[in-house]
Amino acid sequence: MAHTISELKLYWNRINYAFPILNDTIFSDCSRAEYDEIHQIIIGMGVQHRVRDLILIHIEKYLRQHIAPSFWSKFSKVDEEVKGFQLFKSAVNELYESISNFSEMLGRLSILNSSCCDNKPIFGEKDVILGFKQLIRATLLSQLPLEYHVIINYFYKISFNVFDNENEHSDMGDIMCAGCGNDFSDCNCAYIVKVFHETNRKLMDLQLLERLTGQVLTNFIQLRIENHIQKLCDGTFDVSHIHFLENWLDTTVMSWLTRIYCAGSSKPPPDDHNIQCAISQFKKKLSYYLYHSYTKLRIDQLFNIIIEYPDSQPAVDDIKLCLDKTDLRSTLCIRLQNALETRLLHSGVNTTDILTAYVSTIRALRHLDPSGVILETVTKPVRSYLRNREDTVRSVVSSLTEDGAGNELAEELTKFAAEADLENEKDEAWDEWNPDPVDADPKVDSNERKANDIISMLVNVYGSKELFVNEYRTLLADRLLAQSAINTEKEIRYLELLKLKFGESQLHFCEVMLKDISDSKRMNSLIQQDKNLEVVDDNFSCNALILSAQFWPPFKDESLELPEEIKQHLESYTKSYEALKGNRTLSWKPHLGYVNIEIDLPDKRFDLIVSPFNATLIMHFQNKSEWSLEELHQVMKVPITVLRRKITYWQSLGLISEKCTDTYVLVDGSDSTKSNVASNQVQEMICEDDEAESVMASAHDQRECELQVFWSYIVGMLTNLDSLPLDRIHQMLKMFASQAPGAECSLKELRQFLDTKVLEEDVICEACRDLAMAAVNSSLQSEVSGSDVAGPSTRRQTNACLLCGSSILNRRSDKILRVNPNEMQQSIIDLITSKLAPREEDRMRKDAVGSYSVCDTVI
Amino acid sequence: MAQNVYPHYASTSNPAKQNEDSFKLKDNHAVSKRLQKELMELMRCSDKGISAFPECENLFKWIGTISGPADTAYAGQKYKLSLEFPNSYPYAPPVVKFLTPCFHPNIDLSGLICLDILKDKWTALYDIRTVLLSIQSLLGEPNIQSPLNQYASYMWQNPTAYKKYVDDFYNKHKDS
Repeated sequence: MAHTISELKLYWNRINYAFPILNDTIFSDCSRAEYDEIHQIIIGMGVQHRVRDLILIHIEKYLRQHIAPSFWSKFSKVDEEVKGFQLFKSAVNELYESISNFSEMLGRLSILNSSCCDNKPIFGEKDVILGFKQLIRATLLSQLPLEYHVIINYFYKISFNVFDNENEHSDMGDIMCAGCGNDFSDCNCAYIVKVFHETNRKLMDLQLLERLTGQVLTNFIQLRIENHIQKLCDGTFDVSHIHFLENWLDTTVMSWLTRIYCAGSSKPPPDDHNIQCAISQFKKKLSYYLYHSYTKLRIDQLFNIIIEYPDSQPAVDDIKLCLDKTDLRSTLCIRLQNALETRLLHSGVNTTDILTAYVSTIRALRHLDPSGVILETVTKPVRSYLRNREDTVRSVVSSLTEDGAGNELAEELTKFAAEADLENEKDEAWDEWNPDPVDADPKVDSNERKANDIISMLVNVYGSKELFVNEYRTLLADRLLAQSAINTEKEIRYLELLKLKFGESQLHFCEVMLKDISDSKRMNSLIQQDKNLEVVDDNFSCNALILSAQFWPPFKDESLELPEEIKQHLESYTKSYEALKGNRTLSWKPHLGYVNIEIDLPDKRFDLIVSPFNATLIMHFQNKSEWSLEELHQVMKVPITVLRRKITYWQSLGLISEKCTDTYVLVDGSDSTKSNVASNQVQEMICEDDEAESVMASAHDQRECELQVFWSYIVGMLTNLDSLPLDRIHQMLKMFASQAPGAECSLKELRQFLDTKVLEEDVICEACRDLAMAAVNSSLQSEVSGSDVAGPSTRRQTNACLLCGSSILNRRSDKILRVNPNEMQQSIIDLITSKLAPREEDRMRKDAVGSYSVCDTVI
Repeated sequence: MAQNVYPHYASTSNPAKQNEDSFKLKDNHAVSKRLQKELMELMRCSDKGISAFPECENLFKWIGTISGPADTAYAGQKYKLSLEFPNSYPYAPPVVKFLTPCFHPNIDLSGLICLDILKDKWTALYDIRTVLLSIQSLLGEPNIQSPLNQYASYMWQNPTAYKKYVDDFYNKHKDS
C-alpha cells in the first residue's frame, strides 16, 4: 500500500491535530469522533508505537521546558508570610490547571496506547495517566530550587494558625484575629481555609503532597511541638503535662494533618488505605518527637525539678513515662551529672545545702528509676565531693537529730523506724521481679541498690558507720554538756531510732552517756545530802556531771588551775563520791561546765552564767585588784594568749580594764565614772560568753590523733633509712603499721599530714641562728647597755626571738626595734625577715624531689 | 626445756644444717609475726637514742640507729647498724653490725661487735630493743678485757685523748 507524499503530509497534520504536543502546544479542538478517524489512520499505517513514543518524548520535553520552570519560578524567597501563601497557592493552581489541560490529549493517548498491545510500561506505570503523573513528579523534583520550602512553610504556617485558632476559641477580646492577623472586620480565615483545602486537594490529586510538603510539614510541626512544649512547661513542675500534650497532638496537630491529607474532612476516608497509612505513619513519628522534645526539656530542667521535689513529682512522673518511650537515659545521666557539678559541687555552696540537694536527688531519682541505677551513676561525683568536705558528717548527724519543721532527715529517720517492720514482705513479691537495666553495673547487687534508704546512702558517703556514730557521739556529748537542763527524753528517743538504723552495739557508748547524765543527777542529790561532805565554803554549791571516761569521746585538753577554795570543795566532793562508790574516783575536768556567779560591786550587781574559766579569772580579782598577765598565767596555768583573749569578756562587761600593757585592774565604781559610760557601750556589743565552740575533740582532731600513731613509725623509718619519697613512706606504713588503730591512710592524707609536720614548729636551722646571733650581739654591744644583750638562746625552740625570747613569728623585740631603728638595727631586721623567716624548718624537711627526712639541726 | 633452746633442734638429735631450709617455709610466718610485734613495741615506747626499722619490704633485715650516750666520748654522735635476723629468730641471735665506722675497743673496723648477748649469752627473751640498748651502753662501758680493737682499748686509759680521737674518727667516717 503506497501513500503519496501529500497523503502522508495530510496524515501528519491530522496526527498533529489530535496530539498538538507534537508542535509544543496543548490546545486542540479535536473531538472524539475526529480522533476515532485519526486513530484509524494511525492503526492503518501501523505506526501506533512510534507515534506514541514520539508523543511521550514531546510531553516530557514540554514539561521540562515549560511547566516545571514556570511552577518553580513562583518559589522565590519572600519575606512576607501572606505573600508566600499567595505564591504557593497560585503556583499549585497554575500547575494544576496546565496539567488538567493535558487531560483530553491524555485520553486520546491512552486509547492509542491500548491499541499498541505491547504492554510496554509508560514511565514505570501501566496506565498512561499514572505514568504521566509520575513524569510530572520526576520532572518537577528534578528541578527543585534551593529555597523551595520557604513559601511552603509560610503557607502551612498561616493555615495552621487559622486552624489552631479555630480549635482554641480564644475569646480574649482581641481586635486582631489570632488566625490570620487581620482585623476581625475583614478576617479572611474562611478564605484561607478554603484555599488551603483546595490547594491540598490539588496536590493530593497530583500525588505531590507527600513529596513536596512532607519534609517541610514535618519540620514545621516539630517546630510547633517544641514551641508548644516550651510555652506549656516553662518553669512549672507541679502539673503533669504529658497527657495535655498527647491530647494536643491528637486534637490539634493530627486533625489538621488529616485535613491536609483528606482535603478538608476531619476523618480519613475509610476506604483509602494509603492515606490512613500515611497519617498513622506521621502520627508515630510525631508522637515520638513529642516525647523526645518534652523529655529533653525536662532533662534540662531536672536539677530544678529535683530541688523542688516532692512538689515537682508530676514532672518526675512525666520523665519516668517518657524515658520508657525514648532513648534518653544516658543523656539524662550525663546532663544531670553536669548540672549537679556546676551548680552544687563547688566551694560556694554550704554543706547543708549540698546535703539537702543530695537527699532530694535520692528521692526524686528513686521515684524516677526504682532500680537505682541512674541514681548510682548520677550521684557518684556528689558522694566523692562530700567525702572531701570536712563538715559533712557533722552536718548529717546534726540534721538527723535536730527537730523542727522541714527537717527531712529527722523525718526520714522516724519513717525508717516505721517501715522497719515491713522489710520481710519483700521476698514474697517474686513475681514482680524485673531484670536490671542495661546500664547497670553488674558488680553491684541489685537488691543492695534498691534497699538503700536515704540515711544509709548518706552514711555510705564515707563507707563506714563507725565514723558516723563517732560524730554522733561527739555531737551528743556537746549537747549534753552544753545544756544545763537536759532533755534526756528527746535524746533517748533519737538514740532508739538510730539504734534501729545502726544496730545496738555501735550505739552502746551513747547509751552509757545518756545514762551517765541521769545517774549523775541522782548521785548529786545523794552527795548533797551526805553528812560527811565538809562544806568549806557555804557560799556555793556544786553539781557534778559524772561521766564514764571510757565511753565519752575525748575532750579537748585544756589546762585550768581553779582557785584554792573551789579545789577544796571539789576534793571533798570527790571524797564523798569515793565513799559512796568504793573503788572509784573522780577526775575533774575544770574547764567544762558552767558557773553561776553573782558579782556585787558598790554601784552595780551582775548575775551571770559563765564558763569556769571566766569565773576563775574574775575570782582572782576578788582578792587582789591588779594582776599582770604573767601573774595570772602563774596561778591559772593557762597560756598567756588564751588569757588575753578571755579577759576581753570581762573588759566588755566593764569590770576589768587594762591599766597598761598586759596589766589589768578591777573596775569598781568608786574611782571612775567615765569608764562606765564607755563600758556600757561595749557591753551591748559583746555580752554573751564566747564559749559556743565545741569542747569535744572533733572528728578531724581524732583523726589527727590516729595519724600520730603513724608519726612514730615515720620517725623510726626516716631516722634509720634517711630520706624517703612519699609513696615509699606510704607503702612502708601499709606494710608495717597496718595493725595500728585507724590504719587506713590515703596517700593524700599522708601528704597533708607530713606537710603540716614540716610547717608545724617554725624552727629555723642552727647555722642561720648563729649568723643572726653574731650580728645581733655585735650590734647590740655598741647600742644597748650590757644587761639587755641577748645571748645565744638555750631554749629548745631555736626560733625564739633573740631579744625577747618569743616566737619569731610574733616577736616583740622586733616591734621595739622598729619604733626607731637605726641603720644597724634595720639591717638586722632585714636579715631576719629575708634570711631566717623563709628558712624556718622543722624536724621534718622536704627536699626538692619530694622526699621527706628528719631534720638534724634541731637539738 | 630451757626457753632459749630452739624446739626443733631439741627434738632432733642431729641439728643438721640442711634442715634449716624446711623451717624457713614453716616458721617464716611465726618469725615475721614476732618481728612485726617487736616493731610495734619499738614504735610505741620510742626510747630516746635508739631506733630501728625494716630496711625495705624484707622484715628480716633492719637498720638501726643509736645515738651515743650522754657523758661519754660518743655523746652527740649517731651510729647506724644493720640487723639481720635468722629464720630461727628469736632462738638464735640476730647478726648485728655497725654500718657507721666506730672507734671502740669491742668493735672492729669492719663493724663486727664483740658482745656476749649476741653470742653465747643470747636468750629468746631479748629483743631488738634490748639489743640496741645493750649496744648503746656498751659504747660507754667497753669490755677492755677482750678487745677487738687493741688500739682503742689502749687509748681508753686516757679519756681526753680518747674523746678527741673518737670525735675526729667520727667526723671523718660518719658519711661513709
